[in-house]
Amino acid sequence: MKYLLILGVVLVMLGILVAVTPWYIFPVCEMDGMYATTSAGKEMLMPCGYTARAETWVVAPMLILAGAILPLSKTKQYRSAIGIFGVVLGALVLLLPTYIMGMCANPQHPCVVGTLPALVLLGSATIAVSVVVLAKR
Amino acid sequence: MLCFAFIASSILSARYLISGTTNSLNVGTARLGADIIAVPAQSVAAGEDVILTGQPTTFLFNDTPAPEIMRIAGVGEASAQIYVASLQASCCSYPVQLIGFNESQDFTISPWLKSELGRPLRQNEVVVGSEVVGAVGTPFAFFYGRQFTVGARLEPTGTGVDTSIFIRMQDVYAMAAESETKALQPLNLKPGQVSAVLVRVRTGFSSEGVAASIKAQIPDTEVITANGLVRKIAGQISLTTQLLYIAAASVILVSFPLIVLVSSMVINEQKREIGILRAMGGTKRFILKLFFAEAITLALIGGIIGVLASFILMYTFQNLIALDLQIPFLWPSIGQTLAEAGLALALVVGVGSLASLYPVVKNSRLEPYEAIRSGES
Repeated sequence: MKYLLILGVVLVMLGILVAVTPWYIFPVCEMDGMYATTSAGKEMLMPCGYTARAETWVVAPMLILAGAILPLSKTKQYRSAIGIFGVVLGALVLLLPTYIMGMCANPQHPCVVGTLPALVLLGSATIAVSVVVLAKR
Repeated sequence: MLCFAFIASSILSARYLISGTTNSLNVGTARLGADIIAVPAQSVAAGEDVILTGQPTTFLFNDTPAPEIMRIAGVGEASAQIYVASLQASCCSYPVQLIGFNESQDFTISPWLKSELGRPLRQNEVVVGSEVVGAVGTPFAFFYGRQFTVGARLEPTGTGVDTSIFIRMQDVYAMAAESETKALQPLNLKPGQVSAVLVRVRTGFSSEGVAASIKAQIPDTEVITANGLVRKIAGQISLTTQLLYIAAASVILVSFPLIVLVSSMVINEQKREIGILRAMGGTKRFILKLFFAEAITLALIGGIIGVLASFILMYTFQNLIALDLQIPFLWPSIGQTLAEAGLALALVVGVGSLASLYPVVKNSRLEPYEAIRSGES
């Protein structure tokens, strides 16, 4: 079952990339010191900050876990479940910055030009790998 | 295969960069419709930024030079504009470029409005660039204490037009007059004052010649020409495109002997099969075609991987690239995209065929007995 190990490693790597991309590879606005300021002068997180947290602390750990248990799964049913789980997680990676939570409104903000397309790519790659898992189970 | 993929992706990325900026400049300058833009002498860089990247800025002539420009030989039409950077906009909490245009003289927005909207703009109505947030027909934002409504939205151009907001000139003057009492910061704009004059050159005159006349005859005035913008952008992207071309050329130079060697090794391992094919009646020409087809297929697969990788990365990160390089960028048309991809694939197949030429020709000439014997040893 060498292919399961390879697919598992790819899923783990994708999970790690999803976790670090919004902070280090294509950082969101707050990493550049950009915050929304209220009329009272209070600095608040922008939508991209919440999206980044959701990707890093909710979606990425589940993706890493799915990748880690894939080579250990003994039955077809297990592998199908992991494949479907992977597709859902990939869709979440893709939909969090585009529809569910969104990014900043300014088209020139770093989260829109960098983080958003990177997460869309990673989400699409996760879905593609999970479909391969489903097909090869 | 990876070498072929790298060569194809480097060349294609450079080509996309060039055609994307050219396409954007063509669409952007066509949208502006001007051959020359006259600006205050000290504001050339700011003027270029407004057109190319939409970097919000405010600059003004001391008075309007439009009537004097109209008297210069070769000037067909002249239309004044006002460039004002907004304060923090409530819609999107970032400054945007406000462009005031004179409806009676304008040839930038008015003809488009006539065909798309079927009427001129109403009071406090604006035309927004494709990337400005706000739905058509809805109350939009307060600028200097005055609220505006979105009247229409422009098509994407990849230039500063996309992040700009076009307002009737009389509304800009009214907004400036009210800003003393309504805005957080007043807008210092005297009635009649403008930022730039857009000029259309009469047929038979060169834009460079008319631009030189404007510079010579109107004191403290500089000119921005479409050709000048193209030269500026070409200079800005030349380093990046050169780097990509050099990377592709280096890979070709380094990998060429390697591909020759690998092809030789692969064919040497198949000498026995060549001998058997020849003994079964396969001609030298057939062997030649067979191994050429193999080499071309390998190059083609590598090239397709490179083309796809380049396309996905360039398309996904086009805004980041444009922002980092400070260039306008609009994705080329489907036809041009396919033509560039075809060109890169043709080059990769050419390199692959050339590299495998010597080992393929050499081994196809082997006699059956000789081929089987050397293949067994």
